[in-house]
Amino acid sequence: MSEYLIECISLSKQYIRNKQIVRAVDDVDLSISRNEMVILKGRTGAGKSTLLNLMCGLIKPTHGKVMIDNNCISELSDNAFSKLLLNRIGIIFQSFNLLPTYSVYENIEIAIVPKGLKPGMFENNIMSFLEQFDLKDKAHLLPSELSLGQQQKVAIIRTLIKQPSIIFADEPTGSLDDETAGEIIEHLLNIKKEKQVTLVIATHGNILEKFADEVYIIENGGIKK
Amino acid sequence: MNYVIKELLRHLWRTMASITGYIIATLFILLVLSVTRTIEKDSFGILKGTGTHFIVYIPSDASCCVSCDSEGASTGGSLFAEGVFTLMLNSDLITSIKKMDGVKDAAPYLLYKLYDEKYKTEISLGGIDTSSVATRNNVCAATNIITGKFLSDKPDEIVAEEAFANAHSLSVGDTLNIYGGRLIVAGIINSGIKPGKADLYAPIENVRTILKDKLKCISPGFDMNIVLVEVTDARIQKRVIDQMKKEMNYLSVSSYNCYEPAGQVMTIIEKTSGVLTIMIFLFLIIFSTKTQLTSLMERSREIGILKSLGWSNFRLSCQILLTSLIQSFIGVTIGCLLGGLIILFMNSNNIRLFDTVKFQFQFSSIPVLIILSLTGGIIASIFPIIKLYRKKAGDMINNYL
Repeated sequence: MSEYLIECISLSKQYIRNKQIVRAVDDVDLSISRNEMVILKGRTGAGKSTLLNLMCGLIKPTHGKVMIDNNCISELSDNAFSKLLLNRIGIIFQSFNLLPTYSVYENIEIAIVPKGLKPGMFENNIMSFLEQFDLKDKAHLLPSELSLGQQQKVAIIRTLIKQPSIIFADEPTGSLDDETAGEIIEHLLNIKKEKQVTLVIATHGNILEKFADEVYIIENGGIKK
Repeated sequence: MNYVIKELLRHLWRTMASITGYIIATLFILLVLSVTRTIEKDSFGILKGTGTHFIVYIPSDASCCVSCDSEGASTGGSLFAEGVFTLMLNSDLITSIKKMDGVKDAAPYLLYKLYDEKYKTEISLGGIDTSSVATRNNVCAATNIITGKFLSDKPDEIVAEEAFANAHSLSVGDTLNIYGGRLIVAGIINSGIKPGKADLYAPIENVRTILKDKLKCISPGFDMNIVLVEVTDARIQKRVIDQMKKEMNYLSVSSYNCYEPAGQVMTIIEKTSGVLTIMIFLFLIIFSTKTQLTSLMERSREIGILKSLGWSNFRLSCQILLTSLIQSFIGVTIGCLLGGLIILFMNSNNIRLFDTVKFQFQFSSIPVLIILSLTGGIIASIFPIIKLYRKKAGDMINNYL
């Protein structure tokens, strides 16, 4: 039994672009302990987003495996993997990935609908999060009616509402101004502190480094500390 | 379910486009069916009556009535069928034939010919059962009347074949002094080419009376020389004839073989109609599948996001299936209503295909259409669901690879 919460073993992802093999992630070994905050740092196109997607099982590795709680996620059944994503893993996307035709409230609501809770049971919870992130009066608006910072906040609430123990965040401050980025970072640090979650953040900037337990450099699909 | 309805309403244009597809497909099927069924019904009505009749008799090498004549001398007349002498038949034969599988009706026929000195020719007289459909198709019917009227109960009334009437300059109301009595021409008839054709026709009871002195062999139970047979469908006539020849091998059967081409045409029509229905159904499925696949492609990113949030493939599959079923059901319902209204409009304005074929709303096709449409909806969901299971959330979000 491994002591690590997340382990990447010889993890590789290759794909073909313009008839050439691209090694987006190349033989990566990585171990992350519980409640750690890990930064995957690298330039645009270095492979950090692909590594993050592999770690949370959103894409299938070409070689190697990802273990979460000693379970190989690619060997889990569809149902078990969905439950893992639903109950334990939260993903914050660089492009927020909010559903454009859903209101702010509905975008958050869809994250917990599969848990089978009755609407009344999560309404207060959603509203309390929205209040905490200064979005209470925006609940009925569509994502397109929000600023980028507000959209990112909605994406974070959508992740937090599930109460995950691991959060994967891909460039959470990438497209935000400094002030909003600072606000988002503060929220993430609070989450780590209060909820005892493990944070894996992919970023090209330095702003988060000082708060991290570990920083890994991603370069040409490879990894180094 | 809530999410499905929200989803359908959110993408109203896409939903409407998909439903419109089902409406068009349903309308198309409904209109094609309404026409093909009418064509099938009308042509079957004609073809079913084509070649469904034949006559049976027992041939003889001598004229029965010559040999049966009480005086022992020839009266010059004879019972005949299809150019040969025949024997008298027992009426029980009618009951036996009627009981046979595929026989619609059977009727007695008494056909006699007698040389007449005045007209210097043999004149045939047919005694018919006017109420039988077997008589209508084998001998003559009221609809064949050209002038005058068809047979009534009057004992001295006859109808004459047009050719015979023309040959002897007969017209309605003329009196014929033949067969030892006076017969009045009530009508002139043209029965066409029929196996039991005669020169003159009268109700069988009247003919029995007319011939009672000439046919000493007429006795209770033996009062006809031909049985006219009508089968239910041209396609089974051969089987009925074969069966009859097997069970009653003493009988001779005369039939015009028009049942063969009629049967073939009916089979072709039936098969064409079936193939057309299958083709339309396939079109509906292909169309629905394409609609669902397009919808999945459009929603690919959205579904990927839902998968990344923990929505299981099963839950998403149920949604795709339910979405498809709801769309197909709404589509088929509106399609049927619209189809009904269009057909109603066409009929009330007397609009017909090629000015002849009437559009007939097929109520019986509604459940079939609903089942077809829902089946189409289910089949249309299969490919998107397979695609859903095969793709990882990240691939769907980023269009990976």
